[in-house]
Amino acid sequence: MTRVVVDPLTRIEGHLRIATEVNENGVITDAQSSGMLFRGMERMLVNRDPRDAARFTQRICGICPTAQSLAAVNALDDLYEVADQIPKDALVTRNLIQSLNTMASHATHIYVLWGPDLVNPAYKNILDTVEGTGSALWKELLSRFAPISYKLNGESVAPGTAYIDGIKQKKNLEEALALMGGKMPHQMSTVAGGVTYRPSLADIGKLTAYYHKLMDFVDGSTLGVDHETWLENTYRASSPQKAVNFLLEHLQSVVDRSLSSNNFSQNAGWGDLELISAFGSELIGEKTLGLPASFKLDRTGAYPEDSNVGFLTYGVFYDVENGDGYDPVGFGQTSFQPASFINSSFEKKGFDHKYITEETTHGFYTSDDALHPFDGVTDPVTSASEIDFEGGSDSRYSWIKAPRYNGIPCEVGPVSRMLAMNEPLTTGLMNLFSENGYSAVNSFTRMIAKAQELLILSEQFLKWVTVDLDPNGKYYVDPELKNAKDSRGIGLWEAPRGALGHWVKAGSDLKITNYQMVVPTTWNCSPRDANGVPGPLEQALMGTKISAAENLLGVDNANPTGILHTARSFDPCIACAVHTIDLTEKDRTPRTFTIV
Amino acid sequence: MEKTEKQDFLSMDRRTFLKVVGAIGASTFLGIHRSQITKALELSKTKVIWLHGAECTGCSASLLDGGNPDLSQAIEKLSVDLAFHETLLAQQGIFVDGRPASTSELNSEILLDEAIEEGNYILVVEGSIANGPEGSGKYCMYGERTFKDIFEKAASNASAILAVGMCAAYGGINSSDSDLKELTDFRGVAYLNENPYGGMLSELGIDKPVINIAGCPTHPDWVLLTLAAVILGKIDINNLDPVLDTYKRPLVFFPADNSMHDNCPRRGYYDRGILDDDFSGKGCLLKVGCKGPYTRSDCGLRKWNNGVSMCTQAGSSCIACCEPGFPDAASPFYEMIEDKPLAYGMNVGTMSAIGVGAATVGVAAHAARRIIFDKYAEEHKEKLEE
Repeated sequence: MTRVVVDPLTRIEGHLRIATEVNENGVITDAQSSGMLFRGMERMLVNRDPRDAARFTQRICGICPTAQSLAAVNALDDLYEVADQIPKDALVTRNLIQSLNTMASHATHIYVLWGPDLVNPAYKNILDTVEGTGSALWKELLSRFAPISYKLNGESVAPGTAYIDGIKQKKNLEEALALMGGKMPHQMSTVAGGVTYRPSLADIGKLTAYYHKLMDFVDGSTLGVDHETWLENTYRASSPQKAVNFLLEHLQSVVDRSLSSNNFSQNAGWGDLELISAFGSELIGEKTLGLPASFKLDRTGAYPEDSNVGFLTYGVFYDVENGDGYDPVGFGQTSFQPASFINSSFEKKGFDHKYITEETTHGFYTSDDALHPFDGVTDPVTSASEIDFEGGSDSRYSWIKAPRYNGIPCEVGPVSRMLAMNEPLTTGLMNLFSENGYSAVNSFTRMIAKAQELLILSEQFLKWVTVDLDPNGKYYVDPELKNAKDSRGIGLWEAPRGALGHWVKAGSDLKITNYQMVVPTTWNCSPRDANGVPGPLEQALMGTKISAAENLLGVDNANPTGILHTARSFDPCIACAVHTIDLTEKDRTPRTFTIV
Repeated sequence: MEKTEKQDFLSMDRRTFLKVVGAIGASTFLGIHRSQITKALELSKTKVIWLHGAECTGCSASLLDGGNPDLSQAIEKLSVDLAFHETLLAQQGIFVDGRPASTSELNSEILLDEAIEEGNYILVVEGSIANGPEGSGKYCMYGERTFKDIFEKAASNASAILAVGMCAAYGGINSSDSDLKELTDFRGVAYLNENPYGGMLSELGIDKPVINIAGCPTHPDWVLLTLAAVILGKIDINNLDPVLDTYKRPLVFFPADNSMHDNCPRRGYYDRGILDDDFSGKGCLLKVGCKGPYTRSDCGLRKWNNGVSMCTQAGSSCIACCEPGFPDAASPFYEMIEDKPLAYGMNVGTMSAIGVGAATVGVAAHAARRIIFDKYAEEHKEKLEE
């Protein structure tokens, strides 16, 4: 047994440590995921004006600040009892702001954070074993996905075109967001009662232009077909099977065109997504398309057969067409992306936030009860000797709490949202994988779901801008501040990385008495719970082979790509995950919320 | 590269220099310093080590949004060797049975140690440094050690330090008021909020030249142009006082003699006494809490995200995210500063004479604000020197 630790896992937000036990066959048998930072940030909100929460909570995360501010304003709108009065155009603007944040975050993750793993030196060694195709493909991958300051065998490698263009698109999308939010990160527009920004007709033209700039990139680099054809045949396919058939037939034609000439360029139809789809998956690349090599990402980050992981989403994007704003009791039923809890057998259940609890039996906290966020307690250990990351699975080993839904650890993020939407390509691929003996959810499906979501949102963005946004509309209602007296609010939303909830309580002086957030990475990178059940990332690591392409060239613990692919496929965001709050005040009037 | 007497990080011939300045669009900034370019030494790489402490990565995210120059231009044209940056580099920390594995091409911890060991680099710090609990620094660890330890090593060997963003400069949001503040004990590099002796460097007894690039997040131009000025020798790191303000911010971006308010796109409404009572209008935002008159930054001229917009332009009141007391000094964000008992350490009673009523004679009121603002800086300076 070898102990392989990745600390820090870089190219994510924040500081994450993954500790594993690897057996002599190079299979991970045990794993602990540890958040390495404690800021105690939410205690700062206590005794403040609740309206400040929408600005404070953004400072938790510079990658998805917008989602934090929107979860906060949903909670504040509820607290001030204005949730049902937010004007339609304010809701459209909030949708636009969030969709831009999600797309920018996805582009950053795919191209800047995750993409560079495709040029791990292990893949050069693997591709060297495939004559002709191998070296041509390696050159292509390097020219697209090499990160900044990259060196191989002492030689500097120029940053890849896709990497640089990915940064440019992130910038493009954040410029569009800044138009409405003043600046990014930490946009300023989303406030209790609506938004501060009012678009001009010219702004609508500008927003459309930003969209076209994004689509030029998508059509020119990301996809080997135009995005309309892609969405028509995947997102709008009449069945999951048809969506998968389209993908496979499309890929086959690209493969047929280029395999003999070893041409993997954009001109030959190899968009970034085609390259990732064909060479990322063993089932698609080797077994279906007959390629001589693949990175077998569909074998990493997979859940064991008897996993106990559910899929959770709170729902996101107001249903502006029907004038529906935020309703803490019913939100997610008509939102563009619906709320759902899906169990490990992929049965869709309703979602009710009262089933959410957090506990800290394996975190560096002194109170271990499983509590609903309204009742949560966070008491960090206060002596240095108690902070030890080496104790293994039975010890306290993380600053991340363990959230559970009705006792079940949940994966949150694009896969969960695509499942809740019944998105044909994602669900079709999941069917394909499970029918062929693979785990339906794995590092590969997580990335495809993310790319697909970016494309779906881009189309929706255009509709919100050109159809729903009215420059002469109303954008703000002044909340009655005294309504916060002894009141409370629930803010449910989706960050790019998954389900995000804020819970706020105010006292008789209208100031915050308690504020609690349960964030996506807390779900995904959760440690064990009181029953010893590992979190989703931990479960996804166990059973994964430690080295590249299923230990194809043997076990190399010094380059544990199995850990890197799996952990990064969850797009961890640690600054969010390790900020918890002191909630000592118990509920005075228990209420039941039924959502869905 | 050999250290010159003045320790310029990079010197180059005049032709190369002009080419570089043109390429990165830094000429305006450099022009303000009216410096002479006379050295003709050879071109070499400037090494930059970028560390992340307790932060949200917003300043790195902002850096990627840089326009003139953008990040890759800056790196290429300024010949920067970005030796370490946790969010961008290919490497990660790898330990096999407790020992660092592989080489610096795969292992970020080996890479970092080697880069620190070599010395002669500019250290960029993003995020504050945990001193708690009990002075151990264990509230923030990575790579099997505390960030406090990593910072100590990296700072000791650095030629100069850029504290990027409010967390690194002044502690920022990590150091705002809460019942955990003393326990977590987060520090900026040189400062703790407005206290120039409260930073981690004082705690560790390290003396290094520090430039604070304020902002939450910081503006990419502020970082890249300051870096450019240091690299091109336009800022002499051993004589920083002339180019920095009381809080070690570059004066060119955080001017001593005016505030954000002076160049606010909504300034005209203020002058005409058109003050909005709520949001999504187009008037001056003073009454809904704007702290622009008390904030030193060039946001109004420079704007954000490639010049697209800025907070007040999008209808939001300024929350003074460039001031050392952020966020407490500006909180509650949506209440008029005149309604607070204390702002920027000053009794607001003395400010109230120029309250809302006087805003109809905005020009005069503004002049009064300026005087108070400057008076505060002076008083504060005296207080610190005591």
